Amino acid sequence: MKSSILVLPVLLLGAVLLSLMIGQVVLSPLQLWTGLWSGTGPGALTLRVLRGPATFTAAGAGAVLGAAGTIFQILLRNPLAAPDVMGFMSGAGLAVVAGVAFGISLPLPLLSAAGGLTAAVAVALLSVRRGAVMQSSLTLILVGIGVSFLASAASSFLITRMPPQEAADAQRWLVGSLAARSWQHAAQVCGLGALLLLVLALQVRALKVLELGDELAAGLGLRPGRARNGLIGTGVLLAAAGVAVAGPVPFVAMMAGPLGMRIAKVTAPGARLCAAAMTGAVVTILADVVARSIVPGVQLPVGVMTGIMGAPYLLWLLSKEAEAGEL
Amino acid sequence: MKLHLGLLMVLAVAAALTVFVGVRAAGLADVSNALLAFDAADPAQVVIRSVRLPRLVAGLIAGAGLGMAGTVMQAVTRNPLADPGLLGVNAGAAFAVVVGALVTGYSDGGMIAVLTFPGAAMAAIAVFLLGGARHGTAGPVRLTLAGVALNALLLSLISAIILTRSDVLDAFRFWATGSLSQANARPLGLMSVSLVLGGGIAFLAAPRLEALALGSALARGLGSRPGRVQMTALAAITLMTGSAVAVAGPVAFLGLIVPPLSRRLAGHVLRRELLVSAMLGAAILLLADTAGRLTMPPGEIRVGIMTALIGAPAFILMVRRLKPGAFA
Repeated sequence: MKSSILVLPVLLLGAVLLSLMIGQVVLSPLQLWTGLWSGTGPGALTLRVLRGPATFTAAGAGAVLGAAGTIFQILLRNPLAAPDVMGFMSGAGLAVVAGVAFGISLPLPLLSAAGGLTAAVAVALLSVRRGAVMQSSLTLILVGIGVSFLASAASSFLITRMPPQEAADAQRWLVGSLAARSWQHAAQVCGLGALLLLVLALQVRALKVLELGDELAAGLGLRPGRARNGLIGTGVLLAAAGVAVAGPVPFVAMMAGPLGMRIAKVTAPGARLCAAAMTGAVVTILADVVARSIVPGVQLPVGVMTGIMGAPYLLWLLSKEAEAGEL
Repeated sequence: MKLHLGLLMVLAVAAALTVFVGVRAAGLADVSNALLAFDAADPAQVVIRSVRLPRLVAGLIAGAGLGMAGTVMQAVTRNPLADPGLLGVNAGAAFAVVVGALVTGYSDGGMIAVLTFPGAAMAAIAVFLLGGARHGTAGPVRLTLAGVALNALLLSLISAIILTRSDVLDAFRFWATGSLSQANARPLGLMSVSLVLGGGIAFLAAPRLEALALGSALARGLGSRPGRVQMTALAAITLMTGSAVAVAGPVAFLGLIVPPLSRRLAGHVLRRELLVSAMLGAAILLLADTAGRLTMPPGEIRVGIMTALIGAPAFILMVRRLKPGAFA
């Protein structure tokens, strides 16, 4: 099978262009081009203030979420294992909401990272069963779903106690939203994302070796436990970086990996991660384009769209896994 | 008998708390006057008659309905994680009502009654088919994930519809997370009838449902027709869940936590379990609602959030209790 990973950058460019063009007012590429260089006219305003920041925030958030999801999918060997399904992103969301509710003035990425890591540790600890030699990945996933329920309920609880306007904003954010994003958000998620992806690049070899099984990995001179924890840490931080700017957008982390693998026809962990990051960006950008243009005059949160796209995918995945006798 | 008396006492306490406790505490005289010699000029009596009593009735309908629906679901699927909320049946009922309101512009009691049941039925059928119930018993993992997916889809669609109309944000909250605060605007009379109907069907069919839980082959051997029994179970679940959602919105987790408790109290006899579930469900819902009202007066925490706060840890506990074989 010939790899076609070059398709993805093309798709990404197309998605970015589409996202800049489509909205309340449809602009031609020419208008954007003149706006970019002249700094005046509708093109410039759209590019610099309205759609540019949201588009690049979507790209950054989608990329980190896609990469994060793929780390867990490879580690747990299960396409259902993703930070959105397993509650890490709801945990990150809860921490941000708690920060706002209690007036904790820490930067959002720090809050969301703390929340995501706490949720991950909670899922790991709660999944330990007496007498079980190793936690099955399905136990982890189901416990993760439970943790996700709990974090969402706690977030709703805190939101109820906020003043009405703040509560409405927080509610929207918890669905996953790119409304009112500035270049600061875009720079934050792209910067943090680049840094974390660099760390991930250093860990790819370990991921490759871990895929062979713990015994073989140990034989090859790797400490499996430590390497796995490092990868989990990077994965949770990547997801948290996405949550900090876009909220806990559902299903992007779960969909991006398998979708990217199919589009790019790659199988090696490193290539899968690259493909997942780009696919995540494409999916998030396109979902946002649809979310803000499907109903005239209304900007739906991007999370509503990824929910509508992702749920059927999850159902399809379930029926396929059941046919293969895995569930 | 002792068990039922005890449960009735608990339920009576929960009901009394609902009626007497609140931002404005009511006295015994207020309540008896509101019931027997109503004086519309007395604000205390008006509160009881137009706010607290409807709230009590809605809590009884929704609590009993969800408790029994969860019990039937868990019995039929032999799955301890089954719950009308988690499996998307609640969301199906809510979705149908929201779509109906969008298309026709009406959301009165009759409209709700016409839509909530088909919505619940369609979601129940969908989740059981997608969750693999066709091929024998539905495994807990697959059924739960199918429910998660269906819930996510329906809730996304509900918010997509509602967020296009900024004037109905409060309505959105009701159809996304259940609450008893709009009880006096809900079709209480109609829904208590459908609840009794659904409960009656479940009660009459209980022995056959139990036979079905042994597996379709065995059930057939015992002389029952699995297809027909499944349809009966579906009808009961639909009527009970639909009534609950119509008066309280989608309240999750109640159908998850009530059945194991009632199984422990009543033993493994479905008819007794159903009776206990109805009382226990209503009592838990009313107590959770009262707790939600007392947490932050004069505002309140929606009862759907309260049940989720109790129910999510219970869900994790139940996952940990699943037998290793259940994952295979």
